[in-house]
Amino acid sequence: MKPRWLLLLIPLGAGLILALVVRYAAPTNPVLYLRADLATLILIGAALLSLAWFAAGWVAARFEHQRQDLIAQASDDRLRFLRRLDHELKNPLTAMRAGLANASEAPDEAARLAAFATVEAQALRLSRLSADLRKLAELETRPLEQAAVDAAGLLQEAFDLVQERAGDRQLSLSIPQAPWPLPQISGDPDLLFLAVHNLLENAVKFTRPGDRVEVRAFEDGSRLVIEVADTGPGIPEDELPHVWEELYRGQGAQGVPGSGLGLALVRAVIERHGGQVGLRSRAGQGTVFTLRLPVT
Amino acid sequence: MKQASPRILLVDDETAITANLAPLLERAGFEVAVAGDGEQALGLVAGFAPDLVVMDVLMPRLNGRETLRRLRQAGNWTPIILLTQVGEAIERAMALEEGADDYLNKPFDPHELVARIRAVLRRARPGQPPLAAAERIACGPLTLERRARRAWLGNVELTLTPKAVALLEYLMTHPDELVSRERLLDAVWGWDYPIGTRAVDTRIAELRRVLGDDADQPSYIETVSGQGYRFVGRVETAR
Repeated sequence: MKPRWLLLLIPLGAGLILALVVRYAAPTNPVLYLRADLATLILIGAALLSLAWFAAGWVAARFEHQRQDLIAQASDDRLRFLRRLDHELKNPLTAMRAGLANASEAPDEAARLAAFATVEAQALRLSRLSADLRKLAELETRPLEQAAVDAAGLLQEAFDLVQERAGDRQLSLSIPQAPWPLPQISGDPDLLFLAVHNLLENAVKFTRPGDRVEVRAFEDGSRLVIEVADTGPGIPEDELPHVWEELYRGQGAQGVPGSGLGLALVRAVIERHGGQVGLRSRAGQGTVFTLRLPVT
Repeated sequence: MKQASPRILLVDDETAITANLAPLLERAGFEVAVAGDGEQALGLVAGFAPDLVVMDVLMPRLNGRETLRRLRQAGNWTPIILLTQVGEAIERAMALEEGADDYLNKPFDPHELVARIRAVLRRARPGQPPLAAAERIACGPLTLERRARRAWLGNVELTLTPKAVALLEYLMTHPDELVSRERLLDAVWGWDYPIGTRAVDTRIAELRRVLGDDADQPSYIETVSGQGYRFVGRVETAR
């Protein structure tokens, strides 16, 4: 909205420059005498007033329009979130009710214990969902720790941890040493580790054995850039804008375990640190996730 | 001398929770009374004389925080475990500041509650304020000023990250207790995540470095292999 208000100042600015030019740079600054009868002056005054009124109304209407758009957007987001939350709750609850029914009608002790085990597993799944939701909410409000974080060390640790569970995927990590090592970043080391780890784990989760996962980091002017690229199945174009949303599950993520909040947490952590997240993907070829963080 | 079963007062407005937790606590060897809100709880503290109170925070009429405050103002130091529902770090800090002995985030593993109750009862000094309610606590030359969140070793103020101070505070107010990494995550970080145990180890290393504590012969923090950490020093209320 701000730039539009600035547009209104363009005539004033142009007039000011022109006036200065005429006053100091032009050879003459002629004095003009205008004659007008009272009726014409009244007419011109009224027309100018109407014009100003019209302009003000137009600006206000635009402002209101944008506000309405924002409200509609927020309301859409809220509705989408509620639907997704409903969906996330539905499955474990259905499984729990089936499990309890099985337990009460179980023919023997083994069947009863098996039924209880499914109920417990689903309860834990719901607990994790609730914990992740709480994490997200807290991220918005809790004060952020500002410690110096060694980005290279953090990447290496997260990489080592994920590599243990990477199966047959080919993982590689490249951290530049020349002309100088990666810069330090400032923030909460635990949250930053969580973000990087989530991203790496995501890459492993959504690729197939034999796929490549490359983790790269480099300095780009005032930013530290971390890329996690894979040769996985890729993300369809129409899903790309939604990938960072809370509880969003794309086609490829159906049936893959997880709370659906992993990437939303990554985005929340990075944005809280003054950074940005990005994503490029080609269906059938792979995906690259990008994190950009300000360098201290 | 064999004592009678410890008496636990369970306070929560959610009957589904009390109806299931009460039998579980009874099976664990406690005598249990149940209250549905803070007002009932205050009445039962007088009548039932519990050895420990397990109390929810968000309740109708009189909430857990206010109930706790009234008890402490009246000089009643019955140990209290708060079940916080709001996960805010501030909420947890307040719980300790107001003199709760421990807290658990909902939803929790019921066996963890039993473990917490046993640990708090073991620590309790009947009729006296718990370490958890002390403004300054000390272990030898190490002093921790809790409200200001500052620590000293002798006359030298220690430079610690806020997380490390919170971790030190939790360990010092739970002396001689084996605390698992998961429990520390829940209590200090406020949320558990699968990779978080690494975060705990990093901060413990920071604490040891700053305190000059030897992990093999610790005067403060002992590593219990595969299980967690224990504050081994003797902690006292400091003036």
